[in-house]
Amino acid sequence: MRKLRAMTTFPAALLACLALSVPARAADKNEVVIGACQPITGRFAFAGGAINAGLQDYLAYANENGLVKGKKLVYVYEDSGYDTEKAVATFKKIMAQYNPVIMYGESTGLGKAIAPELNGRYKVFYGSTSFSSELADPKNHPYSFVSGPTYSDMFGILLEYIAKHRGKEKPRVAFFYSDTEFGKDPIPYARTRAAELGIDVVAEIVTKVGAVDVTTEVLNLKRARPDYVIFQGYVLAPIPEVIRGARDHGLKTTFMGTFWSVDKTIIDKLGQDAEGYMGVNPYAYYWDDAPGIVAMRKYNEKAHPGEKYRPNSYIQGWFTGMVYVEALKRVVAAGKPITGDSLKDALATIKDWDTGGVTGKVTFVSNKAAVGRVYKANVQKGIFEPVSDWIHVK
Amino acid sequence: MELFVQLMVSGVVTGGIYALIAMGFVIIYKATGVINFATGELMMLGAFFCWTAMTAARAPFAVALVVAIVAAGALGAAVERVVLRPLLGKRTISVIMVTIGLSAIFKGVAEILWSGEYRSFPPIFPRAPVVLGSVILPSRQAYPFLIAVAAIALVGLGFRFTRTGTAMRATAGDQATAFGMGIDIRRVFSLSWSLAAVTAAVSGVVIGAIGGISPQLGAVGLRILPVVILGGLDSIGGALLGGVIMGILENLAGGYLDPLMEGGGVKEVAPFVALVGILMIRPWGLFGSREIERL
Amino acid sequence: MLIGNYKESYAADEALFRTATSRVWLALLGVAAAVFPFLAGDYLLYLANLMGVLAIAALGLNILTGFTGQISLGHAAFMGVGAYTTAVLAARLGLPFWVAMPAGGASACLAGMVFGVPSLRIKGLYLAIATVAAQVILEWVFANWNAVTGGIRGINVPPARVLGVALDTDLRIYFLVQSLAALHAWAAANLFRTRVGRAFIAVRDRDISAELMGVNLFRTKILSFMISSYYAGIAGGLWVYFTKVVTPENFPLSLSIQFLAMVIVGGLGSIKGTLFGTVFVTLVPELLKAATEATRSVFPDAMSYLAPMKDVIFGAMIVAFLIFEPHGLAEMWNRTKRFFALWPFKK
Repeated sequence: MRKLRAMTTFPAALLACLALSVPARAADKNEVVIGACQPITGRFAFAGGAINAGLQDYLAYANENGLVKGKKLVYVYEDSGYDTEKAVATFKKIMAQYNPVIMYGESTGLGKAIAPELNGRYKVFYGSTSFSSELADPKNHPYSFVSGPTYSDMFGILLEYIAKHRGKEKPRVAFFYSDTEFGKDPIPYARTRAAELGIDVVAEIVTKVGAVDVTTEVLNLKRARPDYVIFQGYVLAPIPEVIRGARDHGLKTTFMGTFWSVDKTIIDKLGQDAEGYMGVNPYAYYWDDAPGIVAMRKYNEKAHPGEKYRPNSYIQGWFTGMVYVEALKRVVAAGKPITGDSLKDALATIKDWDTGGVTGKVTFVSNKAAVGRVYKANVQKGIFEPVSDWIHVK
Repeated sequence: MELFVQLMVSGVVTGGIYALIAMGFVIIYKATGVINFATGELMMLGAFFCWTAMTAARAPFAVALVVAIVAAGALGAAVERVVLRPLLGKRTISVIMVTIGLSAIFKGVAEILWSGEYRSFPPIFPRAPVVLGSVILPSRQAYPFLIAVAAIALVGLGFRFTRTGTAMRATAGDQATAFGMGIDIRRVFSLSWSLAAVTAAVSGVVIGAIGGISPQLGAVGLRILPVVILGGLDSIGGALLGGVIMGILENLAGGYLDPLMEGGGVKEVAPFVALVGILMIRPWGLFGSREIERL
Repeated sequence: MLIGNYKESYAADEALFRTATSRVWLALLGVAAAVFPFLAGDYLLYLANLMGVLAIAALGLNILTGFTGQISLGHAAFMGVGAYTTAVLAARLGLPFWVAMPAGGASACLAGMVFGVPSLRIKGLYLAIATVAAQVILEWVFANWNAVTGGIRGINVPPARVLGVALDTDLRIYFLVQSLAALHAWAAANLFRTRVGRAFIAVRDRDISAELMGVNLFRTKILSFMISSYYAGIAGGLWVYFTKVVTPENFPLSLSIQFLAMVIVGGLGSIKGTLFGTVFVTLVPELLKAATEATRSVFPDAMSYLAPMKDVIFGAMIVAFLIFEPHGLAEMWNRTKRFFALWPFKK
């Protein structure tokens, strides 16, 4: 046994290391490879699986319907665990192995870390899960785009809604955000915008994601007496606790959330307390009647008959796939070679693009599509209903 | 003043829950001298056991809680037998690292079985808050507090008045003598781990009921380190008092300091700063044994 | 088994590499390391750089844990202190890397003292708990001390410059990383030939006897913690030049645990063990992914189900090594060498 162990361990280790030296896959001219580093495990796992499914499904749908003439889309994804170093390693591995022309990243962190090489060496068309304004920056991140509005834009939409529906006095707003990159990203912009719109920011409350005890935060809210509270950077906890706590203390505040905080699970979890909860979502919901969403449901009925509902993150992945395909279509129609440069140039030509209602009419300015809609919770039906038209942020 | 009273009362309620978690931790330390870094993940698994019983088998809460307790107890005993028994007598660092390894295994298994999504318990407690004078306590804090108190009382009484409890206390006091008196030390170790897993499971259910469950829930386990240092690593009474004091400290820090700091989050850091302070002034905590040598 | 080995001086006897054979192997390793970056692809090169940086931190942890017997769960946080210090000095003050990195190491050292002094005064496991506190507190500081650390945006760092050449590609920074790693490994190995190093080992093995022999326990433990924090700080500084951006989310508790895993899996108290451990812990998740990749044609969705396995495997690895192979990879290596050296005389 010892002999066997001694003789086999190190040769095995050597072979294993050789397994890591990945040979490049031969490129097929009629294929377009799209690579992705997805956060399927780790802190972002709740969304990573759904985003991946959405992107994967749309690319398969595009293949089925031959949306990109003469080209087959090949999707390759790997788990990067929401860990920037692993994500960079995964990114390089996929680039080395498949030489894709389009990549998808798991986080803002990856986007920032890979930027120098993305701009200098790889030059691939890059989308990601991030809505951070840092990446909507054509000067520093020419190849990256945001699949919708940035968090700052979303905040702007909510603040404008508040300003539009104000009473006689200045509206009082509190910002309630998590101490993560998601949470803090739009806050500086939100403060200035609120001042511009004549809104008083009466409190800023910061907690960890998933905080268990929010008593002190609720008490601070009670002291500040805001008319509106905007959540940023939370998915579920502690939003229900805060809302319930506020109601327990008799506060009549209207609560609002941005993209990650307006999923159906909030209504499910809050039940009656969800009454009046509002938010901004760049996309339509899975139950919408728009043709684009209907097509999404039809595809899922066929391909994933067991899935009854797809969350917002799935739609984010689906929409990113739409952007990729639209850019590809334009490049192919113009007869240009498919490269990161031609794709990013094609992105800039997207104006008033009709997405079939998945989102409003899309125009990419500064590598983002600042469009969204304000929704309100309908507790009876257990869904969110739009209370505004598609708003385009300047 | 009203704010202060509200903060104090909420602090006691949160503290009670911390005390329950800390108790499991201290039980293992007292009996076996091991610092169990997998406490958080045991909590998480306990919460998932209960949730699965409630959603998949549609069991009522009380039944699901019992199921979770039994499952956790079995898990604790299995862990002790398979993983910790071989390490008896080995270096402490090995044992501590093993608990860390276990926490990674538990988390990974939870991610596989239940995926990374956030889940929530179906409604368990009545919606209306509990009102004590001017103080308002959300129902999902007040009732779990009662559960925690009940659990602590049960365990405390068990230690005092049953033979097994006495055996455990004897082993914790002096292993060699206990062995000499005919107590089966190995069974005591198994029981300690089972009991710790059970208290962790109950606290996990409590915390899951408040904030939702996900494989990341284990991170809460770290919060009890300041509690056990304050109370004394080997004192159960200390764990209780330490839990309550830390709960109050957190709430006061959150209520008075958070609004002052731009970034907030003082509530999270305050107990750890207190921990460092305690180590400097009185390292054995409130009730820990003073057999700590100073250099 | 060494035969025909005859030394004529103490120095020769105490040398790190005592036989000609081992010196030849070392030279070959050096040549291979120098040639590697030109042959390896992007991915392996990146991994090699990452492992080099992490190895320095892991070596520091081994000095503290393997040689002095103290447990630290905050190693990543001290790496962060070094990283941020270096980042601020490099990005804001424009200091060159050979000033910024040692400064990072020094500041990590000081941070270590803040948490080390209260906890090392007392015997027992208090350092473990104090370092968890350090981890939480320092992460909070990184995220909230906006003026200095840039808050959640972090700091972007310009690449290091050597003689006017910017080390901005993986290939160029490879040489800096690996030579620093080699330097620190050599320094650590030499540390344990000195009185100080032997004092560390004495404190680990039997501190009462050490005290009787005149070793000042407190000062020795603090010195060990300071050296280990310095290593972490240097690793942090180097890491910052490697990734060119630092954010508060880069130094979580899980990284501290990874370092502990590297040290334990590699073998506590063994320099080469730590190096093996670093390679092992970094490569195993990548190998897992490659394995999932290979099954992609049969199970296209294998990744989603197998991805969480990496946590399980990581934990299982730690547990398995602790139970079955407590002296880690270094011991496995030594056994293999002995087997080949003694064959066919010993089974």
